[in-house]
Amino acid sequence: MNVDLKEQLKQHSGLAAIYDEALADIAAAAAEVELGAARVRHLGRKSRLSRLLRAIPEMPASERPLAGKLGNQVRAALEEELVVRWQALESAELEKRLEQERVDITLPGEPLAGGRMHLITQTLWEIEDIFTGLGYRIAEGPEVETDYYNFTALNTPEGHPARSLHDTFFIKGKEGVLLRTHTSPVQVRVMEKEDPPVYVIIPGRVYRRDSDATHTPMFHQVEGLAVDEHITMADLKGTLESFAKAMFGAERQVRLRPHFFPFTEPSVEVDVSCMICGGKGCRSCKHSGWLEILGAGLVDPNVFGFVNYNPDEISGFAFGMGVERIAMLKHGVTDLRMFYDNDLRFIKQF
Amino acid sequence: MKVPISWLKEYVDIDLPVEELAERLALTGTAVERISHVGLPAAGGNLDRFVVGRVVSIEPHPNADRLALCRVETGPETAQIVCGTRNFREGDRTAVCLPGGMLPDGRRLEAAEIRGVRSEGMMCSESELGLAAKSAGIMILPEDAPVGARLADYLPVSDEVLELEITPNRPDCLSVYGVAREVAAVTGARLKAAPVRDIKPRGDDNIEELVNISVSGPDLCPRYGARLIAGVRIGPSPAWLKARLIAAGLRPVNNVVDITNYVMWTLGEPMHAFDLAGIAGRQLTARSAVKGEEITTIDGVRRRLAPGMPVIADGEKPVAIAGIMGGRDSEVAAGSTDILLEAANFDGRSIMEASMALSLRSESSTRFEKGLDQELVLQALAMASRLITMIAGGRLVPGQYDIQAKPFEAGVIHLRPHRVAALLGAEVPAAEIRTILTKLGFKVKKEGAGLHAGVPSFRADVEREVDLVEEVARVFGLQLIPPSLPSGMRAMGGLSWEQACRRRLVQMLAGRGLNEVITYSFIGLDFADRLRLGESDIRRDAARLANPLSAEQSQMRTLMLPSLLMTVSANLAQRNFDVNIFEVGRVYYPVKGERLCDERETVAGCLCSFLQGQSWRGNTRGPDFFTGKGLVEALFKELAGSCSVRRTKEPFLHPGKAADIIVSGSRIGYVGEVHPLVLRAFDIDRPVVAFELFLGELIASSSEIAVFEDLINFPASFQDIAVVVDEDTPAAEIIAVVREAGAPLLHNVRVFDFFTGSQVGPGKKSIALNLEFRSPQRTLTDAEVDSARALIVRALDERLKASLRL
Repeated sequence: MNVDLKEQLKQHSGLAAIYDEALADIAAAAAEVELGAARVRHLGRKSRLSRLLRAIPEMPASERPLAGKLGNQVRAALEEELVVRWQALESAELEKRLEQERVDITLPGEPLAGGRMHLITQTLWEIEDIFTGLGYRIAEGPEVETDYYNFTALNTPEGHPARSLHDTFFIKGKEGVLLRTHTSPVQVRVMEKEDPPVYVIIPGRVYRRDSDATHTPMFHQVEGLAVDEHITMADLKGTLESFAKAMFGAERQVRLRPHFFPFTEPSVEVDVSCMICGGKGCRSCKHSGWLEILGAGLVDPNVFGFVNYNPDEISGFAFGMGVERIAMLKHGVTDLRMFYDNDLRFIKQF
Repeated sequence: MKVPISWLKEYVDIDLPVEELAERLALTGTAVERISHVGLPAAGGNLDRFVVGRVVSIEPHPNADRLALCRVETGPETAQIVCGTRNFREGDRTAVCLPGGMLPDGRRLEAAEIRGVRSEGMMCSESELGLAAKSAGIMILPEDAPVGARLADYLPVSDEVLELEITPNRPDCLSVYGVAREVAAVTGARLKAAPVRDIKPRGDDNIEELVNISVSGPDLCPRYGARLIAGVRIGPSPAWLKARLIAAGLRPVNNVVDITNYVMWTLGEPMHAFDLAGIAGRQLTARSAVKGEEITTIDGVRRRLAPGMPVIADGEKPVAIAGIMGGRDSEVAAGSTDILLEAANFDGRSIMEASMALSLRSESSTRFEKGLDQELVLQALAMASRLITMIAGGRLVPGQYDIQAKPFEAGVIHLRPHRVAALLGAEVPAAEIRTILTKLGFKVKKEGAGLHAGVPSFRADVEREVDLVEEVARVFGLQLIPPSLPSGMRAMGGLSWEQACRRRLVQMLAGRGLNEVITYSFIGLDFADRLRLGESDIRRDAARLANPLSAEQSQMRTLMLPSLLMTVSANLAQRNFDVNIFEVGRVYYPVKGERLCDERETVAGCLCSFLQGQSWRGNTRGPDFFTGKGLVEALFKELAGSCSVRRTKEPFLHPGKAADIIVSGSRIGYVGEVHPLVLRAFDIDRPVVAFELFLGELIASSSEIAVFEDLINFPASFQDIAVVVDEDTPAAEIIAVVREAGAPLLHNVRVFDFFTGSQVGPGKKSIALNLEFRSPQRTLTDAEVDSARALIVRALDERLKASLRL
């Protein structure tokens, strides 16, 4: 309400009455329809206000200025009051309608399209991201491979059991052509093409002639290779420690155990402290506190010989890990074969 | 390799708890699979309950004819024991279990009344003590057994056993003495001399007069040694020998055979004992088998030999498969008296090949195939001669055979200490290097700043400086090497463009509702027929495996579809009905004249359910051709690439609802509904939409860098037109005409309605297009847009006889 106007209207009792009456009507309107009616009644052509304003020219000249000024002020004030009241009514009605539109918010949301990536792919990407962060590139190579790249150039002697028909799939009708048993042959292919420094990891499918509860004839490996001046066993240890902490948690420890592989010398097996019991010993780690996660070593000088690198000028390390094993350890998967059954109930879990 | 601790302790002075020893071995390269216990339980003082007893008196049991009542001296006391057998006499030493003692099988003995008489213990048989699978009567101990002593102090009846995993480069550790040497090196304990002290022969005959031995083919047999022991008595081995063999996982047979096994386990040199009587013509030759030869081995199996397999033959036939298994005819058994002892060195490769060809592995072949130390030959003969004459009697006949092509020469390796530091990234003091190598059996000599290491005969795996570095590293302790990262890292890591694109496609497909699968790269021989491939379809020509595990996994796939359809089928069978799957994998095309395949990375998928999950709000439409095509288009759109379609001739697709995908004129894949007959061949009872695209070409079609075009400052102007054309006019043709006629102002064309039927008349269809006109330089005027539209309408009329629907 306009207090100034109220004060001034004391000089004009007729307008004051019109104003008060109209304000009361507007305030009493409970719906937009009633408000419309109030508008017609108080501001329409036939309203007392309109009539009064129309009658001004006939008033005595002394009354005209005051009546005209106050009359128009009353009209403007009422117009404004109508808008305010109309907005209030509208928003009250809107609130009421919205209240009626309420839904059961506990019903499920729209099932938008969305599938899952295979756990192997997720694990592979995680491994790849860790090593690309350490400065490695990703190299790839053929899965149908020659025995030269798969064995000979990796210092695996003729007659080694891995080279037999019993352990390795061979291609019919093509002498010495096989399904690669590890992604290591790509190491040799990379070193043939490029000079050091070489920092690559090699993910991919590999094949071994074995099928039982703990072996599938196809599985995945990530091989790593770093060749540069002054690469040491300490670098291998530090690199794998960084990997283990990134993959399995910052509190993980790594230990190296001497082992034997034809293509590395010295060779090691790498354990990570058990992520299930924290290294105290449990069933998963056979109460040792350690879980074997990969094999590694310094690249054997004979391998460098095959690619014409000079082992007196450079050195390198290599490592190879089974992606399934990493995924099983990290996610507690108990049956290797589930990775390749591709049952959607399994795939959608991850 | 099972190593009983009591046996190990004969050769090395250690008092470490077995767990600590195992840990030390594991961290220096000898993996310990487990620590097991054999024989009598050791916990809770159980071993105190087993003593050497002496039978003082034997009397009949007052209430039972078949039982005896014995008094047995067990130290200061004498126990009354009721016994069910009578194979002993007064004065015999026996193994007595006192009340409270627990047997290996977990049974606990208590004092008891037997037929009214108290029995305060039990005299044990060998089987009850875990020394034999079965035995008749109780065990009689030798007369030197000290009465009252703990049995475990006299006989190895309770032992810890290390089960070791020996890597193939260390056949020297396939022996208790070899492990003892390793233990001495890694713990600092003292190594005792090997038990190879020889004995003197007796008699005035000579082995060379009695049997003629030769080697033909020194490649197969670099060294052959033999001795003759005459007049032995074959019988069971003494309890200590049986106990040791059982603890090591070997089965006792008879004294002579047991001794050859005992020597093998101790020294790592497999031996064989022939009954001289079974050797025809008193002659033996180590040679290669000839075609057609056969032998019945001691396990009773008749085996056909192939040329190249090493055999030991007498005057008539093979009597042993050399290094693998002996023949039955010359087997040492009860009644054998004259024993020809063989200790030889056979070529590892030949033994392995023969063993694999015959599918016959033995403790002997697993040692020989790794390549053994030639110097073991005479050591083994000496050790076996001593033990046989001691245990089985007889005399060593003077003379021996030792046929050797080339004597062993020790290699010498120069080791530079700075190389150790350069490879390990840690300093190992020179003195420590010398100590480590000496303990491992190397003859170390200082030489300038470095040293010369003479390689012992049993370490043929050490050939180079780097091999010595490994020896130093593993004994020094890898845990002492500080972790670091490569210092010279100056390469940049990351994914290649193609690798990044592949990831985007995988994420996009998963985001659209497909689940990723990974299937085997091999498929069955029948896939081509199931897919209805034509006889001359090149995809029938797959790379086949020479040695598949099964017919279903016998060749490398040339199409992804069969692997995916099998996955669909398997999921439906499991009542997983919402099957929408994809895979990124390779297909493998053999290439004429090339050894390797053309391997094509491929993205493929199968849809047979709503992409958007079922909702309580009602149904969505199931997938059809256009769902598949939409996905394929989305794949291209993801990489800002583009493709076109052509009707397909793929025999495994619906002839009317499938398309080839074309990029720059070449076919890179397909999309469409799978042919119902193919679905039937894969046991699938509902429609499936499939697609398959070569990833390389898909990615190559993309644009790496998007270039800005101004779509903001100058607004577009939109116009709709609907045209009626002949029903067989493809939409793509209409759009092509529109685009050509509308250039350059026409920016985009979208189909927003399509129908056939009575409204447009037979043989006709209506297609409605939304046209977007724009210019990057200015806002178009109405007149410009109208005239562009008019050109489009005219071109449609002239070229496709299309009429405008109003």
